Amino acid sequence: MSREAEPPMAPGVGVARVEHFATVEQQRHAAVLGIWAWLVTELLLFSALFLVALVLRLQHPEAVKAAALHLKFWIGAVNTVVLICSSLTMSMAIAFSRMGWQRAMVRAMLATAALGSLFLVLKGYEYYADYEEHMMPFLALRPYALAETPASRLFVNLYYVATSLHGLHLFTGISILLGMTWMAAKPGFLARHQNWIEVYGLYWHFIDLIWILAFPILYVVNR
Amino acid sequence: MRNPLARLTDEDRARLRQHLRVPVLSFLALLGLLAVNVTLGATLPFAQVWALELAVVAVMVAVILLFSMEIRHEPPLVRLFAGLGFFWVAILVGMTLTDYLGR
Repeated sequence: MSREAEPPMAPGVGVARVEHFATVEQQRHAAVLGIWAWLVTELLLFSALFLVALVLRLQHPEAVKAAALHLKFWIGAVNTVVLICSSLTMSMAIAFSRMGWQRAMVRAMLATAALGSLFLVLKGYEYYADYEEHMMPFLALRPYALAETPASRLFVNLYYVATSLHGLHLFTGISILLGMTWMAAKPGFLARHQNWIEVYGLYWHFIDLIWILAFPILYVVNR
Repeated sequence: MRNPLARLTDEDRARLRQHLRVPVLSFLALLGLLAVNVTLGATLPFAQVWALELAVVAVMVAVILLFSMEIRHEPPLVRLFAGLGFFWVAILVGMTLTDYLGR
């Protein structure tokens, strides 16, 4: 009943049914429903953090604005472009898996992992620049640049919690993606486990979606 | 170095176009919307620009959900799960902001 409007699967591409499912279609639906059930819990986790950012903006507008002006707006923007590119390569990997083009799929997965790694490198540089600017209020031995506006600590600490949690999800995602790429390069993978690529793709796009929300809520609207 | 695309048959190219059309269009739409938000954030053209920025973000999220995550092709139960997730977020944000904005 689903996926009628999508391009069809190539011959030889499919899913090996495991015994506790009646049909392959049921197995596919269960996998997608399972990942969505988890993504919804993740959505609520990050939404609560973003909501706190909006409340801080309402409660302490001047302090939040002062802190936000220290954020690296252009690095955040470039990182958003990087993740949007990685979403494209992940979608390409899914498309290639449906077409049965295994080598192209593996290359698209590696490109996705490389773009995800680039995001983390840029994020690490951003944290380093923040450290240099004394914008880490949780470091007891390092003076905080905005010490005269105590409320800004709340926003800056929230910024680190939200972005490092996102970075942890991305790091985990890259690790899983590399492991899956290693398995996906083996002969016969697409005949047995094509839906792994689709299910994993949902997770990757979701990481992208969270950053699409984080960038404007933390960097843009507080300027 | 040989161009791998040169080895594709006309049928392969047609399949490639069929499979990649939506991902490429989504990618271009997301980049365009991001460019709008970055321009607004960098120039701050008017006082209430944040409302427009959040509206652009809402469109970006919709593009990812509908086209990148292909929720429009999923069975009704999956669409219900995804919809409920955002509905819960709406309750969370709505009730909290009602309190703070109503004080």
